[in-house]
Amino acid sequence: MNDCEEYRERLADWHMGRLDAAAAAGLERHLNNCADCREALAATAFVLDSINNLQAPEPPANMKVDFRAMLDDFKAKEKKPVFRDRVWSWLLQPRLPLAYGLIILLCIGGAYLLGRSNKQGHEIQELHAGVQEQKQTMMLAMLDNPLASERIKAVSYTNDLKKVDDKVIDALFTTLNNDPNVNVRLSALEALAALGNHPEVRTGLIKSISTQDSPVIQLAIADVMLKLQEKGSISPFKQLLKQRGLDENVRDKVKQTITKLI
Amino acid sequence: MLQVKAGDLERMSLLFQRHHRALFGFLFHLTQRREASEDMVQTVFYRMLKYRNSFTEGSSFSGWMYHIARNVLKDQKFGFDNKYDPIDALEDKIAGSTSADDSLEKKQSRQQLYDALAMLSEGDREILMLNRMKELNYPEISEIMGISQGAARVRVSRAVEELKKIFIKKGIKKDS
Repeated sequence: MNDCEEYRERLADWHMGRLDAAAAAGLERHLNNCADCREALAATAFVLDSINNLQAPEPPANMKVDFRAMLDDFKAKEKKPVFRDRVWSWLLQPRLPLAYGLIILLCIGGAYLLGRSNKQGHEIQELHAGVQEQKQTMMLAMLDNPLASERIKAVSYTNDLKKVDDKVIDALFTTLNNDPNVNVRLSALEALAALGNHPEVRTGLIKSISTQDSPVIQLAIADVMLKLQEKGSISPFKQLLKQRGLDENVRDKVKQTITKLI
Repeated sequence: MLQVKAGDLERMSLLFQRHHRALFGFLFHLTQRREASEDMVQTVFYRMLKYRNSFTEGSSFSGWMYHIARNVLKDQKFGFDNKYDPIDALEDKIAGSTSADDSLEKKQSRQQLYDALAMLSEGDREILMLNRMKELNYPEISEIMGISQGAARVRVSRAVEELKKIFIKKGIKKDS
């Protein structure tokens, strides 16, 4: 490595003020006598200044509010560990997988033996029901997760549930009407749309029309209502049209939806 | 942070106040995604609360925070997408400036820089973004990246050289 190469490796540090006094003095002496390295320094300085001066958008004000909510929630959970959490953490202890393995093997063995005695169908059904119940509990717990991506994952678990009960439907509506993140709300809406054969889902969706303020969700609800051919939504949609400051795209979409439903 | 570790969780709000802006900037510059960066800031603070016992006395809080941020970033598997958020849409939200005083040249040079950064490897981009933080020096950067201080020095210098080459290739010059 010649001298210049060695000095050039230090240019970035020199520009950032990260060289010790002796090394800086040595480099400066070299720079005084080397036009090529001075040119290299100017280019290094330009690159570093460009990056250092790069500005990020202002973080939105709601970030502080979200943090406050997360911190309060965390503090509350720390203070009084919820019974359910304690059960979960006990069940999820690292030393338990072997025990689970054995239990599963026993269940399968049991189911097999029972099957041989013509009771197979009934027992396996029970086993399935147990798994379904576990999935449901997990989904409901994950909906409280502070991470939006985890909550979306929780909502998507609804597709795996063979039978959806009131608890799940309630949780999905709570998410649709209250979750701070629009993407989570949107995924809850999609999950609910797939459950359109439940009358209570249809009623809940109709009610939700008036509570939503995000144009994205309003547009999506209009699509869902059209798909479900839900005439009960006409009246709340008409109410929505009276709302001041309604997004123009939403207004057009709602008008079209009403025409198609009538 | 030691007070948080000792159980005074409320102290975390002071740390949030002090660091969330820089952390948001770091995540934004590496992903170009506003909402995802917001979410990731919350995740980083959540993880710091949850794993507060892993913070060791005498170590740098910023170093620890960016180490966690890097893991969160990896979990999200975001690529650098310089076309994701149109820069124009961000103009009125840029910290400390308004769209009125942000000239067209400024916008163009920022876009040029994002385009150039997109041509770097992920590791080079990351180390340059850590290097620009005033609160991080080589001991912290090496800790965050899991490499020696000497290696961190060399990697910063090489990343700068790479970016210099890209600048030349793209004809980016001072006052261009």
